[in-house]
Order: sequence, then C-alpha cells, then structure tokens
Amino acid sequence: MIHNVVNGVYSHVNVLDPTLSRPARARPHVLPVTALDAPSPDAAALAVLIGHVANLRDRTAYAALFKYFAPRVKAYLRRAGLEGAEAEEVTQDVMLALWRKAEHFNPARAAAATWVFAIARNARIDHARRRRGASLPAMPELEEPDHSPSAETQTLTAEREAQLRAALRALSPEQQQIVQLSFFSETPHTAIASTLNLPLGTVKSRIRLGLARLRAALEGEP
Amino acid sequence: MIRHHPSAGTLLAHAAGTLAPGHALVLAAHLQSCAHCRAEQARLEATGGVLLDDLAPEPLAAGAFAAVLARLDEPATPPPAPPRQADLHLPPALRLPSALRGASIGRWLWIGPGVRYSTVRLPWAPEENVMLLRVAGGRRVLRHSHGGVELTQVLWGGFYDHTGHYGPGDIGETDESVEHQPVAGPEGCLCLAALAGGLRLPWLPRLLGG
Ligand SMILES: [Zn+2]
Repeated sequence: MIHNVVNGVYSHVNVLDPTLSRPARARPHVLPVTALDAPSPDAAALAVLIGHVANLRDRTAYAALFKYFAPRVKAYLRRAGLEGAEAEEVTQDVMLALWRKAEHFNPARAAAATWVFAIARNARIDHARRRRGASLPAMPELEEPDHSPSAETQTLTAEREAQLRAALRALSPEQQQIVQLSFFSETPHTAIASTLNLPLGTVKSRIRLGLARLRAALEGEP
Repeated sequence: MIRHHPSAGTLLAHAAGTLAPGHALVLAAHLQSCAHCRAEQARLEATGGVLLDDLAPEPLAAGAFAAVLARLDEPATPPPAPPRQADLHLPPALRLPSALRGASIGRWLWIGPGVRYSTVRLPWAPEENVMLLRVAGGRRVLRHSHGGVELTQVLWGGFYDHTGHYGPGDIGETDESVEHQPVAGPEGCLCLAALAGGLRLPWLPRLLGG
C-alpha cells in the first residue's frame, strides 16, 4: 500500500529533476550541486524526495531534503530553547533519523513537513530527557498502528497542508502566537503568559479558543 | 463506542511533545483505541508541520551536511532488550495495548479490598508514576484528589464516578480541582493510569515506593 502510493508519486519525478531517477549506487560523499541549487521544493516534491531516499537510498534526494529541512529543524530546536551547539547536534540526529526512517513515511497519512516535525519533536523530547538523566535508554518508537488511514486522515496530505496554512494565517496575530508557542515552547503556558502578558489562569482557555478558531477556519466556518 | 476523550489541551501537548512521559504513554494507549482522537492528533501534527515549514531557516554550521553524510552508513543502535513484564493473569481475550511494550510491568499488589495495582515503569522515564489498576466488580477506589492531572484509560470493563460512566477505550482526565471516588462496574475494571504530583492519600505514596 505504502509502496503503491510512493510509486504513484514517482511518476512526477522526471519533471522535478531527471537526475533523481537514477538508482543510487555507492557514491562518493560529494555534494550534488544540482539538488542544492534547485529552487525550494513544494510539498509534493518533498514527498517524492523522501520516497527516493526510502526506495533508492538516493543521496542526491537526501541532499535536497537536508537543504530544505535541516535549517528549519534547527530553527525549531532553537525556539524550543536549545543552545546553538545543542541545536546543531540534535538537528544532525534528526536528519540522520530522516534517512533511516524514510521507508516509514506514508504520503497518504502525512505531508513531508508533518512527518519531519514529528521526528524533530521526538528528538527534542529525547534530548530533554537525556539532559535529566544521561544514561537512560531511548524512548521506544511506537509503531504506527496499521489501520488504513481513515477518510479523514487520508485528506491530510500535501493539499490539506495548504488549507491548514491558510487557516493559521486567518487567526489573529495573538492567536497565531499562542498556537506557535504551544508547539514550540518547552513550557508553553508560562511562555504564553509572559509573551502576551496574560495571567497564567487564562492561558488554558486562550489556547482552547485558538484551537477552536483554527478548527473553525479549517472547516470553512466564519 | 468511545464517549470520553482527552481534553484539547492534553492532545495539543502530546502533539507538541510537552506532555509528561507517563501521560504520553496513557494517551498513546488511548490513540490506539480511538480513531476520533487519531484524526485530531494527525490534524495537530500537521499544524506542527506547517509551523515548522514556515519558520525562518537557521543556517547550519559549515560541514554539517558532510558530518551527517559520513554517518549515513553507521548501523542504527539496536533496540533495548524487552523489559520484564510480570504475568498478570489477564483474561485471554485481553491484550495490553502495544504502547506498553517498552515498559516493565510489576506483579499485582493489593491496596485495598478488591483493588490491586501493578507498577508500570518506563525505563526511559523511571520517575513517572504509571500503574495498571484492577478493581473488582462494584468495588470503589478510595476517595482521592490529585496533585496534578490524572489520565486513566479503561482497558477492560468499566467504572463510573460523578462525571459519568467509563467503558473500554474511554479515557478519564481529572486535575487537581477534582476529588473523586471511582466505582468499578459490575464486571470490574482494568485501567492504565498516569498520575502527576501523586495521589493525595497519606498512605499510598509509601506503598508505591514514592
Ligand atoms: Zn478519543
């Protein structure tokens, strides 16, 4: 099932970049210039690139993914409070995980950025944990339950991402900040209270309101 | 049919990665049983994806890509050995949620008439207070309040308290403002619970080794 979807996406590959359809062989560790000079890939192209990494172990595709996602993952980790060197190190771990887990990416379930977000989030949880107790074993990966995606989750693909982006933009600046801090801050409630100068007691209800607005925007309500 | 879901704030914290590990485990068990919350979780993670996508990129140090490339062929660390799980003599039809797979599970300990618990220890977060709770039909758990949020996922049977009836797949979420006294349904109840801040009972922390 996963492979069918990925293969379906593959049909666009030569449009994207003909060099990407070459099967991967043991390549020297040289930056493939073509991939790095390409304009920012869109969501569908990113999904194709992950498919290439999964099925062909294609380092050219990987380089393009690295170029796009690594600086964003680093920005995310910096916002979560990691110092420069830590953020750099954990970003490298996230990018390595992306290479290793590419075969688990299911474009019918999640957009590329969503999948990378989940990997980065887990790495951040793990980092916080190791800071408390260095010798603790890693948090086990939960295998995704093998339910075929429901009708609702199936629509959460690249196109759905655009809808979500529009919904986020439709929020008031304050609500956008609340949603951002909820996702990025290690201690969201205190961060929201201090950034927006709100009493801590009202933060919960503001978050709820922000989420409700987001959902209403997604469902096309006024 | 599942009637009780986690609060929006708890789902958000889980998607954002800020939920305490014990609560995250119980929530993972709920997600395995609840398509509604799985869809909501997917929506929240997609929101995280869009936010990540929209972040102003921060350049990496020179050589970062080369450093990662050099690690691509390293073997991944093997998964840890499976933890000890006591035989809880559960009904054959009952399988513990696979979210519990990495946790060690202690044997049943008696904590009151018709009430037994088993400590669930997370090797990756041993300070977390997670337990399986088995309550015989009609028996009640001692009245208690909480130092923080308590999440209780019903695995089998059911219970009720002043907030309603909880059946298989339902999750109960209570915070420090709630004092409750759950009573098991006629068939009894098996739950997975995570506590924050501990139960407010004078003697239980001792029993729980806390
Ligand atoms: Zn639910």
